[in-house]
Amino acid sequence: MVADTRKTLRADTLKPINLPEPVHVEESQSGLPVMVQIKRRQRIIAVEDRWRIDDEWWRTESISRIYYAVILASGQRLVLSKNLIDNCWYRQSY
Amino acid sequence: MKILCILLPHFPLKCETLRHAGINSCSVIITRAIGSQKLVLDHSPELNNLCVGMPLQQALSSHGEAELMHADIPYYWTVFNEILDALEEKSPLVEGTDLGEVYIGLDGLHLIYEDDDVTVSAMHEAIPAAFDARIGIAEGKFPSCLAAQYNPAGSYKTIDGNITAFLKDLSCDFLPVSLKSKDKLHEFGLHTMGQIVSLSPGPLQAQFGPEGKRIWELVNGIDDTPLYPRMREENIEENTTLSSVTTSLDVILMAIETLLSRAFIRFESKGMGMRSINLWTRSWLAEHWERSINFKEPAMNTKTALSRIKQIMENAPQPGPIEQLGIKVTGLGCQHGKQRSLFTEVRANDHLLNDIKQLEFRLGGPQLYRVKEVEPWSRIPERRYALTPLSR
Repeated sequence: MVADTRKTLRADTLKPINLPEPVHVEESQSGLPVMVQIKRRQRIIAVEDRWRIDDEWWRTESISRIYYAVILASGQRLVLSKNLIDNCWYRQSY
Repeated sequence: MKILCILLPHFPLKCETLRHAGINSCSVIITRAIGSQKLVLDHSPELNNLCVGMPLQQALSSHGEAELMHADIPYYWTVFNEILDALEEKSPLVEGTDLGEVYIGLDGLHLIYEDDDVTVSAMHEAIPAAFDARIGIAEGKFPSCLAAQYNPAGSYKTIDGNITAFLKDLSCDFLPVSLKSKDKLHEFGLHTMGQIVSLSPGPLQAQFGPEGKRIWELVNGIDDTPLYPRMREENIEENTTLSSVTTSLDVILMAIETLLSRAFIRFESKGMGMRSINLWTRSWLAEHWERSINFKEPAMNTKTALSRIKQIMENAPQPGPIEQLGIKVTGLGCQHGKQRSLFTEVRANDHLLNDIKQLEFRLGGPQLYRVKEVEPWSRIPERRYALTPLSR
């Protein structure tokens, strides 16, 4: 029997999952996503939904994102988000 | 209990003299390596200011002319065990846990030996004259050891009745307590045992803790340390001399494998395995290396035992090219079966957690995780779930 290490379970032993993954997105003049590069460049044919999250404004790194549920030319559905703090695009399942 | 103590002063040196008669004419220091440090194990009696356990460097600073000799511990124990075997023919209660120091229980021996003179001469018969045995008889190990120390070779001293009278002029340095306590006694101006006798146990206990009580008891001649007689056990030892000195681990392991195979033949048929062994090597410069190896589960065959030994040998540097090596089986055991639980799923989970923890110990840090809900209601996707170590 291996003895229990009695190590305290700290926050840093928790690993977050489903973190936003950076992707390259081309925007239209109005700021909507038109092309996305996931392995290869793909055209976005439709934006199904759009919503905004503003949260944790009391912290030093607040959260401000716009999410787009988009359909690619291949028919694949994807959730993209634009981080309004650093203006970068991310992919994340919602 | 009446105890007879036999002291064989400079035992390792006397053993070496038996092999090499020439060393009588020169000053010798016998050294023993503990890790990277070399310590004095024994020395010629004419070399003053040396003591056992002193660092070699310190010893050489006062006796640089002395000839150095590496200790051959297995050989000393072989000689010592022969003496103990011979003494066991005189008394069944023989304790020999330290080289050159023997305690014998005398209870009941008066039925065989009519008085102390006859007992002592019987003991002298069992010990070769070259060892200059000193014998002391008293109630308890400590007084008997002191009686032996204060006695010339060839005769014996008995302490009967008033032990405190015998102890009163002796230095506190003879007390078998820690060096720190001895220094502290001197700081308090307590240099002889007689000075301590006049104190009550309370203040001593207050200053020295449990050791204070022991000090008080010893100076009052009370020593209830039990005698641990030797137990009869099957001695399984194998050793070999290599055809040429080597540093190659493969060659050393091959030799160990041969020794293991030879050892296994002796107890394999009883369905037993090795629980622990002492592995020793001797380099061509006569340096001794020894390691005790324990097996988590008794090793039932050569292959299992060798894989563990290989791990140790890979991480333990040898003092030099190896010339001779040997093993001594110090523990035998039977294979343990794992009891199956009626509720197999519960037991399976326990075993799984055990294996995961073992994996963590070997590889360091958590290795397997489970997905856990943290804030499933959160609007921020990465806050909803997290991975937590499976073993916690």
